Amino acid sequence: MELTRRRLLQAGLLTGAGLAASACGSGSGAASASLAGKKMAVWVWDGCISPNVLKDAVAHFTQTKLTPSVIGGDFKQKLVTTMTSRAFLPSITGVKGEDIATFKGNYAEQFVDLNTLGADKIASQYVAWKLKQATTKDGKLLGLPIDIGPCALFYRHDIFAKAGLPTEPDAVSAAMSTWDDYFAAGVKLKKANPKSFIIDDGTSPFTYTIQQGTKRFIDENNHFIGDQAHIRAAWDRSIKAMQLGIVAPFADPGSTDSNAAYNNGVFASSVGAAWHYLDLVQAAPKTSGKWRVATMPGGPANFGGSFLTIPAQGGDHKLAFEIITWLLNPQNEARTWVDNGNFAANTGSYTLPAMTAPVPFFGGQKAIEIFAPAAQKIQAQYEAPADAAVSDPFQSELKNVWAKKKDPEKAWSDAVSTAKQIAQRQGVN
Amino acid sequence: MAAPQAAVKGPGRKRAVVTFWPQYLAISPFYVLFAVFMLGPVLFSLYLAFHKWDGLGPMHYTGLQNFRFLVKDSLFWQSLTNTFAIWFLSTVPMLFLALVLAAMLNASVRFGGFYRVAYFVPNVTSLVAVAIFFGSVFANQVGLINDVLRWLHIPAVGWMTGSFTVKLVIASLITWQWTGYNAIIYLAGMQAIDSELYEAARIDGAGPVQCFRRITIPQLRPIILFTVIMSAIGSMQTFTEPQVLFGSTDATNPDTGGPGHAGLTTVLYLYREAFDFNQYGYGAAIAWALFLVILLFTAINWGMVTRFGRRRAG
Repeated sequence: MELTRRRLLQAGLLTGAGLAASACGSGSGAASASLAGKKMAVWVWDGCISPNVLKDAVAHFTQTKLTPSVIGGDFKQKLVTTMTSRAFLPSITGVKGEDIATFKGNYAEQFVDLNTLGADKIASQYVAWKLKQATTKDGKLLGLPIDIGPCALFYRHDIFAKAGLPTEPDAVSAAMSTWDDYFAAGVKLKKANPKSFIIDDGTSPFTYTIQQGTKRFIDENNHFIGDQAHIRAAWDRSIKAMQLGIVAPFADPGSTDSNAAYNNGVFASSVGAAWHYLDLVQAAPKTSGKWRVATMPGGPANFGGSFLTIPAQGGDHKLAFEIITWLLNPQNEARTWVDNGNFAANTGSYTLPAMTAPVPFFGGQKAIEIFAPAAQKIQAQYEAPADAAVSDPFQSELKNVWAKKKDPEKAWSDAVSTAKQIAQRQGVN
Repeated sequence: MAAPQAAVKGPGRKRAVVTFWPQYLAISPFYVLFAVFMLGPVLFSLYLAFHKWDGLGPMHYTGLQNFRFLVKDSLFWQSLTNTFAIWFLSTVPMLFLALVLAAMLNASVRFGGFYRVAYFVPNVTSLVAVAIFFGSVFANQVGLINDVLRWLHIPAVGWMTGSFTVKLVIASLITWQWTGYNAIIYLAGMQAIDSELYEAARIDGAGPVQCFRRITIPQLRPIILFTVIMSAIGSMQTFTEPQVLFGSTDATNPDTGGPGHAGLTTVLYLYREAFDFNQYGYGAAIAWALFLVILLFTAINWGMVTRFGRRRAG
């Protein structure tokens, strides 16, 4: 075929027409997807809720065509973008625990107050402090919790035994009930085995001490309190651990180095939320059976745990609420634990066999005996929308001390001054 | 050819648009897509740079507030320094290696086609996969390079922690990925050089090194200028490499860019401010500050390379 100007023009016209047609096509298709009652979209991320439970939900709710989609990438960003466009919002969406403060503070009107749909009647099924995380100042409940992250001490039974430390969960819980006791055990371990460290992450005493408190970096009146005694105490705890030499050499969590350290016994223990169990399974599958769980040094704390919410502009709110309560009933919550390792926020599931079963990775220990009591003892803490941004310099400077031996006092003053700048930008006074 | 005549005779430009509507329609898809997906966002980000916006609520006009914050923000300046350091560490070896590779490819070698493809493959390899691979090679305790060093009884290097080595790792990744691409561009330029020039030089007794220095490089001047500017613009926007190498897996602590933010480039910083911390106005301000920096930098580059070329020619 000879290439002439006319042919080129024809081709151009056809392409243009084709584009226009396909644009119309996809537009109308998406529009019908958001029509209430017919199809109901559910947005989750990978690992949000058990895929088997979602599959069963599609079969169970025959009055609608339930279409769960696993949204990859930056979940919060995609949800915010869709809300900004005011179209094609799902009927139900997950909200990650670290994002709930932002949504609650800045975008509360984008969600249905679940109390208006009867959530107040079933609230007692869920741990109270977790519900409080999703409750606005004026009492609106934006989401029901899927899972929580009660924290515990994960430790290597075999390494503790060789170093002459207590080995059984009860004994470890008793012997390392405070951070100081835990650090003392770390010093003992280091003497017996210089290649093993009781703390895997130099920032973790800081992070988890803050999780144990009721205050964070910004108070309820939107004041910056990151330079006050409670943060300084947490900071000093991390510095002390580093100075005692009981923190492993720097390895970014999730990096090749960190995975190797879990495998070859450089990390003798690790403080983390219930879901940290999955990190261990993925990082060090060969160490299965050698790990145990004990209570957290310094008292119970929570880290993470997500919610299911109903966007105000999504479809049929009543049915959506019915679906959420079904997805989060004790039986399905137990399945999410088994399939995903997300620890249930619905306390009704704690007595079910799926939850109380011995965990082979923990050498047959019944992990629920550690997590369930911790879950009930956690205190609510206030987290402002800008909290993550303001806390960042502290984490970053602690890493400088850990990885690069920066002077701790210099690091602290740098962290405070940077945090104050960020606070100012974020509108915190 | 009636149409052009009509346009010439026509009273004004409006008539031309009417007369040539099929042509305009034919080229419109590109411009429509460009306007919607490029021009629109660019203009919107300029508007955004003067506002405080959390991504969903109302926008508040704040004038130059974002830029005032920016000037005082030590992390922004650090990110610019990081970006320049990474640019320098990657561009210099990359363009040098590319020239050498191109010269080798230009000499008639066996399997020339194979080599061309082989050198280009890194450029089309998924960046995320490559970054994960480099992360393993340079890992502090279990990385391949440190294993080799230990085997040679040389103390291991903390590649992923040192503020200089972090930049070196990112720069080596960029070099690895883009050397082949630049070599292909140079090769195309070399093949356009008149072979009579080389023949004349050889008759006058010039060796291969002299030919390369006195003929190839001066003749390639516009192409070298092109690659310098393109790699500068590309490097100024480095994002994925540090994002994958040092992106924290811990979502509650987006401590991006590695220990001490040593690998935090400006684009990674703007991404963090806008999308992790919901400061969209501030993120836009960073983007426009970066635009000004690139503009200035390109002008300097241009001036330097053209002056260098003129001196050479004269």
